[in-house]
Amino acid sequence: MSAGRLLRLVAVSWYLHLKMLHRSMFDSVMQVVWPLFFATTALLVYRATGDRDALSYAATGAAVVTVWSAVSSNASGILQRERAFGTLELLVAAPAPFSLSIMSIVLAVTTTGGYAVAATLLWSRFVFGVHLAPAWPLPFALALVATVFSFGVLGFLLAVAAVRYRAVFALGGALELPLWLACGFLVPVALLPSWLRPLSWLLPPTWGMQAVRAAAAGQSLWADLGLWAGSTAAYAAAAVWVAATVLRSARRHATLSLT
Amino acid sequence: MSVIEVSRVSRHYHVRSGLRWWRRQEIQAVRDVSFHIDAGETFGLLGPNGAGKTTIIKMLTTLLLPTAGSARVLGFDVASQPGEIRRRVGYVFGGDRGLYDRLSALDNLRYFAELYGVPARAQRQRIAYVLDLVRLAGRERERVEGYSRGMRQRLHIARGLLHDPPVLFLDEPSIGIDPVGARELRATVSALADAGKTIVLTTHYMYEADELCDRIAILRDGSIVAEGSPADLKSRVSEGEVVEAVVHSLPADAIARIQELAGVRSVTVRDLDRAQVLLVQTKPAAQLAAEIAGCLRGTAIQSLSVRAPTLEDAYVELVGGT
Amino acid sequence: MNSLRILVIGGLTTYRALFNWVSPWILVPSLLVMPLAQILLFSYIGRSAGIESDTFFVVGNAVQYSALPCLLGTASTVVGERLQRTLGIVLASPAPRLALVIGRTLPVMLNGLAVSVFGLVAGSVLLGLPVRPATLGLATLAIAVSVFGCTGLGLVSAAVGLRLRDIAVLSTILFGILLLCSGADIPRPALPGWLAAAGDWLPLAHGIAAARSVAAGGGIGGVGGDLAAEALLGLGYGMAGVLMLRLLERRSRSAGALDLT
Ligand SMILES: Nc1ncnc2c1ncn2[C@@H]1O[C@H](COP(=O)(O)OP(=O)(O)O)[C@@H](O)[C@H]1O
Ligand SMILES: [Mg+2]
Repeated sequence: MSAGRLLRLVAVSWYLHLKMLHRSMFDSVMQVVWPLFFATTALLVYRATGDRDALSYAATGAAVVTVWSAVSSNASGILQRERAFGTLELLVAAPAPFSLSIMSIVLAVTTTGGYAVAATLLWSRFVFGVHLAPAWPLPFALALVATVFSFGVLGFLLAVAAVRYRAVFALGGALELPLWLACGFLVPVALLPSWLRPLSWLLPPTWGMQAVRAAAAGQSLWADLGLWAGSTAAYAAAAVWVAATVLRSARRHATLSLT
Repeated sequence: MSVIEVSRVSRHYHVRSGLRWWRRQEIQAVRDVSFHIDAGETFGLLGPNGAGKTTIIKMLTTLLLPTAGSARVLGFDVASQPGEIRRRVGYVFGGDRGLYDRLSALDNLRYFAELYGVPARAQRQRIAYVLDLVRLAGRERERVEGYSRGMRQRLHIARGLLHDPPVLFLDEPSIGIDPVGARELRATVSALADAGKTIVLTTHYMYEADELCDRIAILRDGSIVAEGSPADLKSRVSEGEVVEAVVHSLPADAIARIQELAGVRSVTVRDLDRAQVLLVQTKPAAQLAAEIAGCLRGTAIQSLSVRAPTLEDAYVELVGGT
Repeated sequence: MNSLRILVIGGLTTYRALFNWVSPWILVPSLLVMPLAQILLFSYIGRSAGIESDTFFVVGNAVQYSALPCLLGTASTVVGERLQRTLGIVLASPAPRLALVIGRTLPVMLNGLAVSVFGLVAGSVLLGLPVRPATLGLATLAIAVSVFGCTGLGLVSAAVGLRLRDIAVLSTILFGILLLCSGADIPRPALPGWLAAAGDWLPLAHGIAAARSVAAGGGIGGVGGDLAAEALLGLGYGMAGVLMLRLLERRSRSAGALDLT
């Protein structure tokens, strides 16, 4: 299939899965409300310092990281859900690249996480009075989207890696807060214990968030974006590889249709 | 030219049984199966549950690798050229699953049209065409969750036809559908056959295979025990007769005694609610009714009749013969 | 004797129903990893903001996290009962009601206690805080009372959830509310007045205050008031919850509004 066709496939699949996700209103609301509790708690702690800069530092990070709550709790169960629908085999049997089909579902999930971002931004604006005035608005928006996208890629890896793990929703939940901590959203990476810092550097959202902060402060963000692109690409490649391995093993060991 | 060639294909599964998870058990689902299907043929794989029908279909649709042997679909190897095959075959299975309930039929078809690379410009027309073919036109904007079993099944078939594949695999499409729905489904399938599609159909309903298939392979425990046209298979038993007796509380040794009679080909027993149906297939002109009745002395015989064999008898003898 | 038997047998059945679907694959992430992650996240937020001490956050979050197993556990006990079509029977049975309710919720409380104590110890070790047995013993007592309070609230939430037909969502929202207003992370002066007031009337705030006080080396004498308040809140919510469940059951019988039977 040509690149145009593949792009169209991603777009249509993204749109239809988004449509399905919207059909359960309750889930959508929870996806906004749940991370908002954590974001609000963090912001109240920062507000107690009376330091406006610290507060807007946290507000920026909190807004971005809320996406991860939607992705971690949802993406990891995507294959499981497709299996329950009985469509997993059909996705495999179709000529479209399996990785692309899954990636577009993850993108739909990531998009619903975007509502939490918007909600958190409005929340910090109107409840906490934080005016985010990035020095470079356009690069700021670009870096924001990039960071959100890298969460999607992490979700993609999670989705395909967890295919054999039944209790995958619990795993997704357990990965939620560690990333809140590790990637410099609410706590500067420099403050983390030295053994944890290399782990942060290996996670693409860390670089995305650095780029967001750089753009907000009007500093050059291209180095960070480069690191973001490199690490995101590495994770995407790993996920594609894992997906291919999972498929190969499924053809050999008949594990796809197992319910 | 053969569209599908299966030569000496086997497939086993490893299962861990319940509590003793450390013990791996091997299940031979398909054993050394060979057959070929010509262009335009409707080929039936007939057999009871667990006979290996789905496993064969999954190997041919590239979802599973054969553990031994090789198979080709449209000249492509199922193990090494899955991409080529996936583009050119349709795969439809029976049952409730395999659709997105929260979407409309139209959205389901749009989605799979993308997955199958149906060109954007042709999509609208193609979707309208397949909807019409399975008689769902006009209801395509309803959500699938409100569909009946039969409608779902027809939508499944529409999905399988989106990319106009020359070969169609139908795995027990009529499972769980009411008789009217099943008849409509058979009409759809035979229309497809008339349109020149090569169809592989699995079923455990005799009459379905009889009505639709040009050739049938009967599977039992993973092996093909008979193959031929419905007429061929019928003729295998048509020379004989069938003695059918409805009895109450059949003594254990009666079957053995009947089996020893000269001229008996097979004996099968089916349990009804309060009675049992004894089917004895005999060689031509064996005239065994009286002797069979003799073997059943002491048993309450509700009825006893002699009739000509049907395809069902052929099937019962092949897969259930004791 | 009879009461005791009901307590033990009832409790055991519930425990089995509750943990039937729970495998180590669920237990470890949700009852060990998640609380630790929350403890570490807020401890570091505290360090970054330069507010309070590590102990403040470790104790606060360890105790607060027990709300999740308590709320969800109580709720799923009640739902499990509904699924087994026995809630009506349980509520109508003449067995001493208090013993029955305590018996049913005892496993949930023990589970919550274990989760909190684990969080407290593991969080302290990871952040390099000293763990003294005597302090831990007193803290465990404070946690036990907090867990009792949460379970009482859990009964109310189960009754409301039963009416709304979704129990997990309500439990989750309550968890978030408790995170905000129990003072687990936000120092009391920084808490908006109405949140603090709400916190005073919900479980956990008093329990967490007591646990912090004993963790700081205070004796049991200094926290008697807080513990009593927490226990009273638990008792009040618990009784309200049971009453609501009974009311629901009676309504369902007369109006057929709820398929409890
Ligand atoms: N994924 C699997 N893992 C283990 N055993 C399987 C699997 N799929 C099928 N089997 C077993 O293989 C045999 C054949 O199954 P199947 O091909 O589904 O038969 P049919 O479709 O004719 O009912 C059965 O005994 C079945 O239990
Ligand atoms: Mg089958």
